[in-house]
Amino acid sequence: MVPLVSIMVFLPLAGALVLVALRGASPRQAHLVGLIASGLTLLAALGIWMRGVDGGFAQVEEVAWIPSLGAAYRVGVDGVSLPLVLLTGVLFVAALLFSLKMDERVGAYVALFLLLETACLGVFVALDLVLFYVFWEVTLVAMYFIIAGWGHEDRQRAALTFFLYTLLGSLPLLLAILSLYLGSQPHTFDMRALIAAPPLAGLTATLTLVALLIAFAVKTPVFPFHTWLPAAHVEAPTAGSVVLAGVLLKLGTYGLIRFALQMTPDALRSAAPVVAVFAVFSALYGAFVALAQTDLKRMVAYTSVNHMGYVVLAVAVAAAASREVVRSVALDGAVLQMVSHGIVTGALFLLVGMLQDRAATRDMAQFGGLLRVTPVLGWFFIMAAFASLGLPGLAHFPAEFQIFLGTFGVWPIALVVLLGILITAGLYLRAIQATFLGAVPDRWLTMPGLTRSDIWSVAPLLVLTLVIGIAPWWLLDLIHATVERITS
Amino acid sequence: MITPLVVVLGSLGTGALILALRRFVVPLALAGATLSFLAAIATFTQVQMTDSRVLQLPGLPSFPFLLLADARASLLAMVVATVNLLVVIYAAGYMTDERDQARFFAELALFTGAMQILLLAGDWILFITAWEVIALASYLLIGFWFERSGVKEAATRAFLVTRGADLGLYSGAIILSMEAGTTRIDDTLRLGGTAALVAGVALLIAAIGKAAQVPLQGWLQDAMVGPTPVSALLHAATLVVAGVVLLLRVFPLLSPSVLLLVGLVGGVTALITGLTAVSQRDFKRLLASSTSSQLGFMFLAIGAGWPGAALFHLVTNAAIKSSLFLGAGIYQHTRGSTRFDALRGVGRRHRWVYAALAVAGLSLAGIPPLAGFWSKDAVFAATLTGRHAAIFSLFAVTGAVLTGVYVARALRLLWRGPDTDERSDREQRISGLTWMAVGFGWLVVLAAVLGLAEPVLERRLGVTVPQRAAALLLGLLAALLGLVAGWLRPADYWLRRLRPVAERGFRVGDGLIDVAVRPSLALARSCDIFDRGIHDFVLSTGHGALRLALGARFLDDGIHRVVDGIGALGLALAGLTRRSDEVGIERLILALVSAVRTLGGRARQLQTGLIYRELLLASVGALAILLVVVLTY
Repeated sequence: MVPLVSIMVFLPLAGALVLVALRGASPRQAHLVGLIASGLTLLAALGIWMRGVDGGFAQVEEVAWIPSLGAAYRVGVDGVSLPLVLLTGVLFVAALLFSLKMDERVGAYVALFLLLETACLGVFVALDLVLFYVFWEVTLVAMYFIIAGWGHEDRQRAALTFFLYTLLGSLPLLLAILSLYLGSQPHTFDMRALIAAPPLAGLTATLTLVALLIAFAVKTPVFPFHTWLPAAHVEAPTAGSVVLAGVLLKLGTYGLIRFALQMTPDALRSAAPVVAVFAVFSALYGAFVALAQTDLKRMVAYTSVNHMGYVVLAVAVAAAASREVVRSVALDGAVLQMVSHGIVTGALFLLVGMLQDRAATRDMAQFGGLLRVTPVLGWFFIMAAFASLGLPGLAHFPAEFQIFLGTFGVWPIALVVLLGILITAGLYLRAIQATFLGAVPDRWLTMPGLTRSDIWSVAPLLVLTLVIGIAPWWLLDLIHATVERITS
Repeated sequence: MITPLVVVLGSLGTGALILALRRFVVPLALAGATLSFLAAIATFTQVQMTDSRVLQLPGLPSFPFLLLADARASLLAMVVATVNLLVVIYAAGYMTDERDQARFFAELALFTGAMQILLLAGDWILFITAWEVIALASYLLIGFWFERSGVKEAATRAFLVTRGADLGLYSGAIILSMEAGTTRIDDTLRLGGTAALVAGVALLIAAIGKAAQVPLQGWLQDAMVGPTPVSALLHAATLVVAGVVLLLRVFPLLSPSVLLLVGLVGGVTALITGLTAVSQRDFKRLLASSTSSQLGFMFLAIGAGWPGAALFHLVTNAAIKSSLFLGAGIYQHTRGSTRFDALRGVGRRHRWVYAALAVAGLSLAGIPPLAGFWSKDAVFAATLTGRHAAIFSLFAVTGAVLTGVYVARALRLLWRGPDTDERSDREQRISGLTWMAVGFGWLVVLAAVLGLAEPVLERRLGVTVPQRAAALLLGLLAALLGLVAGWLRPADYWLRRLRPVAERGFRVGDGLIDVAVRPSLALARSCDIFDRGIHDFVLSTGHGALRLALGARFLDDGIHRVVDGIGALGLALAGLTRRSDEVGIERLILALVSAVRTLGGRARQLQTGLIYRELLLASVGALAILLVVVLTY
């Protein structure tokens, strides 16, 4: 049996090492290496999918490392991680395709993206706490360098923010990992064992959960730990934003499911109402702050707070619900929402980036009528925006509707979160109206249309948006098989 | 089950094909509409009264998608397909000079296809999907001429108001589905008690928004900025009709108290929007108000407990309202506007169009033997029964008088007016008139004769359409009274000081903008300021803490020493563990040390000391894990 999971995880790293070895590579060569490595990684991810996942952890690859400590190299996938692995594969190809016009220190840029891809995939497939933590930290480092090296004007400030929040986020995770390790008998870092028999109870479990919640709330992000997100997005290069919103935020909610829900289930059940309050508030708050933005990128960044709030709410619902159908509908929705958000928000950041490249501004008040000048960009944006505001037939709706169904099954009052879909509708329609409708100001009359690599980077995401929206079952069947096991 | 699918795909498929090919646009649109029309007729003839056909798709886990063709759904599908076909024929002429025909016909196909899915949806998820896609299509079509002034605002407003009301649909559907444990609509309607009451009110809110009933009627006026064929379809067979379709669909769920609410909303709307219609200075805006008012009659009938009467009125109005809009569109092409001051006397120039408009108008007012007379009679008979007969029938009579007034007023304004000699040179040859005449003509014929549909409804659908001699007489008297009043005296005479208020659709202040939009934006702005506050707070405290902990100089140039320190510490640790036989730890530490050093070295070239801090943190974390591992070992 070919160790496909490990091959997939380290393929991007191999690409990065090739780039380090070829120090004098031309920009063209560097881009080519990046595309080949990320393309092969996507193929490997598809191969893992083809092999099949039956619900539990499948295709596990294990290499003994320190047997007496219970630490080992363990990777594998299930119906929660595989969709995120596929999402990661798709988004990195899209990000690198978009970056083809980049010509500033290309070798280092592509190598960092590939390193980041290995780290993200590693977090999703890791079945060992030490491995998980190592990959988790590497994502921060790689993202940090991308923002600091290729960001916009105010990188210092963004870097400081990123640092502070990382400090806040990583240390509690570390403590929680140690607590889980020390609580298990015999001591083990094996996540499968910790999931099969959650080791902690009582106060230790609660404290561990608090540490986990803080760590993942920073990453997801949930109010009040979210303010690093708009700051980082505004400064990050477009491709960095795509990966940041599309993949890195999912690390938080993935951790929430993998750790909080699966390893400290009882503690999460009692804390669920508190988590739900934060989630609902965060979702509505994110929507309102997004409504106040005139910078398109900041606006899209804040809608992430809204959308990820739904995911956190769904996990709380899954922890608290007594009926199995409620638990599974919420958790199905949560996992699908992560994928949908990655694809749709990825597309939106790409499109805003294309607009910024052409206009050197992202202020919607400066624009108008661009649908006549760059119709492809305009229609793509309209489609992605409608997907993001939850229009049925596009990717977010099946996810959000399941989350709302589950929410009503536990806390009917929490349906107030429905207001979020009205506010996001308002903010996207306003953005479309200000940017793409109406008469065109003279200075934009000559704005060039999309290039072929622009279209190739974003069009597949839009196709996926439509396919998930119309026929969600091809993805939900995969998710549901695992969710059933988690919730039964 | 193949024909209902063809009804849907006939529209959606051609829409996609038109977008893909961008050629043969009009023939494709015509072919798709015809196909959909034939399939709808076939479905209606196949489906028997008690029988229904179901097609199941996988959908969501434990919530499959269902297409369900029963007698009512297939009848309505046929109505929609018929109006759609005639409107597409008309549009082939109306849009002759338009450069973006492909977009127009593709959006039109999406509009109709979504409506057909709505009619055939058997589960709530598909129903909501169709409901919202209809809203998207109308947004795109209202905004078709997006560069013109006022268009973008109208499109945004239409979508936002209906979406606000749609929260009711979401809540209602979620409550019903979770309480009943299934999303299959018919199974959820058996619920009773509080769930049914709350869900009923929630669904009513959605219906009010979609059907442009009071207090959410304003958006429909502004939606007139779209192309006229869109208006015809939107007012007769798709968007607003969806609101009534929802109520007809969930009728078994509605408790007496909710029904009373439905009736009151309908009655007040018939009155208020009737007055608005009387006051309008624009033909299309008059027709738009009239739509709200006629839908109000349907709400009244449902509220009185007679969905059959509402259904009948819906069918006749589909023909009447679409034909009126199409006639208005022909005049619009003649004079370049739909304002009455531009249209004065246009009826004397184009007498055939005027005659046809008059037939449709009189049918709307309820003059026998035209279709509107019979269906309005059914609504009257419905309001005369039940506990609330007094108030409901009063609404109905007043509404009918107002209908007579605005119909007569419109016909008078189109006929009379200054001699048109000087205008005649502005009246150009109308391009595409033949196509328009065909679509318009057939709809007028339907508007005249659809009263014959009543026995079909009763026989095929098993619904009862109420009839009463008193209703017949009352309806006729109200219509005649209104017509005479409207023909003899202008709007100012009847409305006097009410006119400016009515003309603005009885809006208070800036209407919705005052009530919802401004407070939301204000709240959003405060949230934004608050958010920036949090951010600055975190940054300043964080910065302060760092200074305190590390010292300012340390921040700038001292950190690399710490990196070196970690290296030394790591080496020491590695030496310590050498005593054990676990080579793994030692190797890991050595690798980590060298990684930190190299990365640190590279980072120095790139940027500031911040990077060190980041690296420092990552490596401290990894070391801490190792320390614990070693200590607990």
